[in-house]
Amino acid sequence: MSELNNFIDLAAAEAPSPVIPHLAEIIVGLVAFSLLFYVLKLKVVPKFEKAYEERTNAIEGGLARAEKAHLEAQQALAQYTGQLAKAREEAQTLREDARVQGASIIEDLRAKAQEEAVRITATAHASIEAERQQAITSLRAEVGALAVELASKIVGESLDDAARQSRVVERFLDDLEKSK
Amino acid sequence: MRNSLRSSTDEGFVPPDAGDFILPPIFGDSILTTKPVILVFFSVFLVSTLFIASSRKASIIPSKLQFAGETVYGFIRNEIGQDVIGSEFRRFVPFLFTIFTFILTNNLFGIIPFIQFPTMSRIGFPVAITLFVYFTYHFVAIRKHGLLKYLKDMCFMPGIPKFMYLIQAPLEFATYFLIRPLTLAMRLFGNMFAGHLLLILFTLGGEYLLHNDNFILQLFSVFSFAFSIVFTFFEFFVQCLQAYIFTLLSALYIAGALADEH
Amino acid sequence: MTGTLGIVGFGLSTIGPGIAIGLIFAAYINGVARQPEARSILQPLAFLGFALAEALAILGLVLAFVLK
Repeated sequence: MSELNNFIDLAAAEAPSPVIPHLAEIIVGLVAFSLLFYVLKLKVVPKFEKAYEERTNAIEGGLARAEKAHLEAQQALAQYTGQLAKAREEAQTLREDARVQGASIIEDLRAKAQEEAVRITATAHASIEAERQQAITSLRAEVGALAVELASKIVGESLDDAARQSRVVERFLDDLEKSK
Repeated sequence: MRNSLRSSTDEGFVPPDAGDFILPPIFGDSILTTKPVILVFFSVFLVSTLFIASSRKASIIPSKLQFAGETVYGFIRNEIGQDVIGSEFRRFVPFLFTIFTFILTNNLFGIIPFIQFPTMSRIGFPVAITLFVYFTYHFVAIRKHGLLKYLKDMCFMPGIPKFMYLIQAPLEFATYFLIRPLTLAMRLFGNMFAGHLLLILFTLGGEYLLHNDNFILQLFSVFSFAFSIVFTFFEFFVQCLQAYIFTLLSALYIAGALADEH
Repeated sequence: MTGTLGIVGFGLSTIGPGIAIGLIFAAYINGVARQPEARSILQPLAFLGFALAEALAILGLVLAFVLK
């Protein structure tokens, strides 16, 4: 029995149970683990996190940029459309103006022409009237003389008494006018 | 090392045991110069250098190295941190990231040629990481809910009959304070320990068979070596899985501590 | 051939958790297959259950080494 015990003791001395931790190894493990932990925490993890974040930003930033460009394009399109509409409107007003102006010019000209026509007509009337008056006057004188001459020829009597002569002519003309 | 010496003696095949995980100091005679300790510090150096190099010029369009680093980081950050912990995950990401990279590197040492020792098969290292997780999730919960409310929520789950509390409360208490840290450390340790043992077994077995005088047995050594290669791939899978599970469970425990009720 | 009875005990203690973990992940896979969008909800639950079940096997492992 003692031999067996001795053997076990020997075996134990030779090979301590593998599940009994050696204190020095625990300490080494603790130190090594802490060392690695701090190195990774201070040097590696922040870098990787930064890369992650940058990548996320790059993707999201790209999206934002695309959106901005899209917005800008839309704005430009709206601007151009607006400008086009304005230009069209402007052209429209110009055309309208021109039309109105043209109309007014025509109106003016027409009025002027009408005026001129009226004036010419009036002048013509006046001159006709004057001529008529003149003709009447001269006619009256001539008709008187002719009538007197004719009458004197018929009557054979001279009607050279001026006063009488003019009286007879007047009467004759008055009768003429009345009969008219 | 012990084993390779022993297997060449005439006593027959001696299977590897726990003694194979106790390595003598490489120089001097302090425990600080043993292979596991040096490997742990080497892993710290390796992970730091690799990730600093990959994140140094972190930019929007990643380089190949940055892409590799970011894949690992993004996996921890989004798949484990964000999905499990939820809205407050941001401040735990460095912690989870450290856990995962640290464990994964140390596990992979088990199959990397010339290193070939999973440091996590020394129980001290899983215990150290578990201590961090253990104190982190208790600290987070106590700071968020206060000590009394935390204990009350923990032990007295709403919606079960009163007399059941007699059984349930101690069980819950033990789960939070004993079972969780114990299993967290032991799961990682156990997997690495057993996996490494398996690899040693097949390699030493093959070696033993090869050194045998019997020609037929020498032929069989090929199968043994082939199995050690197959199990090396299997170990690779297990090592990644264990690093993932450890990180996921840490995140789950932290998430449970942050949740209003469970 | 030498060894301890503790290791046999460990072997026995893994049977229960082995079955339990199988059931847990079978249910998890079923759930995700039926409703892939529930994956993020089911995953933590599955892993919590897995951790709890595996705890028994791990206790066995510890006891196998501690109790000589």
